[in-house]
Amino acid sequence: MADTFRSPVAIEIESLSKTYYKRNKPTTKAVDNLNLSVPAGQVFGFLGANGAGKTSTIKMICGLVIPTKGRICVNGFDVAREHSMAMRQIGAVLEGTRNVYWRLTAWQNLMYFGHLKGCKGKELKNRAEQLLHELDLWERRNDSIRTFSRGMQQKVAIACALVSDPSIILLDEPTLGLDIQASRTVKEWIAKLSREQGKTVVLTTHQLDMAQALCDRVAIIRKGQLLTDQPLTELLHLFRQEYYQIKVKGHMDSHESSWFDGLNICAENGHTIISGAIANQDVLHGHLTKVRDLSLPLLSVSRIEPNLEDVFTQMVDGKGEQSEYQTVSNL
Amino acid sequence: MNIKLLAIFNETYKRLLIIWDYRFNILTQLVTVAFIFIGATFFLGGGKFDTKQLPSLFLGYLVWFYARIVILTTSEDLMSEAQSGTLEQMYMSPVPTELLVLGRMFATLISTTIMVLLASISLIWLMHISIPMRWEGLPVLLLTLGGLFGFSLMLGGAALVFKQIEALADLLQNALLFLTGSLLPVSHFPNWLATFTKTLPITQGIIVIRNIMLGGQSLSSAWSDGSLIWLAIHSTLYLCAGWLLFKWCERIAKKQGSLSHY
Repeated sequence: MADTFRSPVAIEIESLSKTYYKRNKPTTKAVDNLNLSVPAGQVFGFLGANGAGKTSTIKMICGLVIPTKGRICVNGFDVAREHSMAMRQIGAVLEGTRNVYWRLTAWQNLMYFGHLKGCKGKELKNRAEQLLHELDLWERRNDSIRTFSRGMQQKVAIACALVSDPSIILLDEPTLGLDIQASRTVKEWIAKLSREQGKTVVLTTHQLDMAQALCDRVAIIRKGQLLTDQPLTELLHLFRQEYYQIKVKGHMDSHESSWFDGLNICAENGHTIISGAIANQDVLHGHLTKVRDLSLPLLSVSRIEPNLEDVFTQMVDGKGEQSEYQTVSNL
Repeated sequence: MNIKLLAIFNETYKRLLIIWDYRFNILTQLVTVAFIFIGATFFLGGGKFDTKQLPSLFLGYLVWFYARIVILTTSEDLMSEAQSGTLEQMYMSPVPTELLVLGRMFATLISTTIMVLLASISLIWLMHISIPMRWEGLPVLLLTLGGLFGFSLMLGGAALVFKQIEALADLLQNALLFLTGSLLPVSHFPNWLATFTKTLPITQGIIVIRNIMLGGQSLSSAWSDGSLIWLAIHSTLYLCAGWLLFKWCERIAKKQGSLSHY
């Protein structure tokens, strides 16, 4: 039903700002001049620490919060001016433990939310039936949601967001509070939505391993400002080049460790691992010379592929290039 | 079915399903309300049931009972939906929220009417109250309810912005019992109080309903003496003011990002 108009850009955010006021005085600048394009058909990770402005942005996309400034278009429809058409493009599971009526059954919830989005008739019933089958909830369709486990409730919430077959799905912390099994189900579903059904998924999460596994593109936001917005592979590539791990046999004492100032040193299974940012090959050779001077048997030297968590930590902590790698540990 | 009608029907149906799930609570509430009426009439009759006063008290009490349910449920429901996150889902509908609110009102009207009917039948049977059945009372009741829904929209809007208004709603519905002539006719009040109470949402409705149902007054006569005109103006003003205030509060809540707060 949502494919009235498909733009190559699913969500376009222009100069978006949101300042919250208390007694006419500005208290929080949640979003600050944000410009963002979410390509259609991709999983878009929208990441940031708590209070970074993710939820405010998501709610502005959903038309639930009025921006102080700026414009949002979903599939080409302006959220402020063409609210009705814009809302037809979106399905959302917002942050929180409940997005459905606990007093109603799974089937009644799906019917209600389908009608709420303007769907009706056999098409809606077929879609609801298909979703309940896919989520293994068909047998319990007539049970009240309050009797479901947290994972099952979240599955119903996602099904309700999908029942109108929107082309854009917004998932704000969809795995919050879920156990490993339920998280995995949700994760598999997100992958399926994008890869098999061509949906655009905007995902906010603190589970960066999940974001790395699912996202095609990632935007990181801090204090309402965009730090980066690029394909995940490119983002990881940017941080890839200067990160090394040197493995030596035996343990180093504190005096020996001080020779490698600026690097992370840890002991593991009788070995010592020296890791961190090494600006260039000359510096790397310098460190290897120190290893030789300390008569430490060299086991291996390898370049480490940073993961999204490393990149996120570095960007959000906002430290200088040399020192920021210090914050990345447990490699 | 047209999408707008479907939205109203959908909202009504959902509310009724939820209300049905709370049927035992509602039944208990009905018993409480019936006991309050029996106690109040006993007290007002100076320790006995005054059979002459009973029909008048009964009509006033029923209109107040409508007011009680409508006032309490409007804000309570909105807060409960904010808490559950479903209020935000409702606001993400392509259908204008005005229609959804209308659907909720229909549900409240239907469920409250069922409750009022159950309470009425029980009380009539228990206390042998004799009320002449006159159809003219129905449009007057609907007009009264229009004003009442306007008042509840004001409270609903306030709930969206200020959140904790359950205590205020409770205070108001109790105040309405004593100030709107539900138990004691407004004519017994001092002038200054009578003037004030006539600005409240159900006072004029109770006066006109009593005149029509018990006094045998016709609608045309009520129109001629101005009481029905005043009720129509009064209810229209409440409905319009309630609607405007609700939309204004909705906008404030969206601006301050508090739609989902509770």
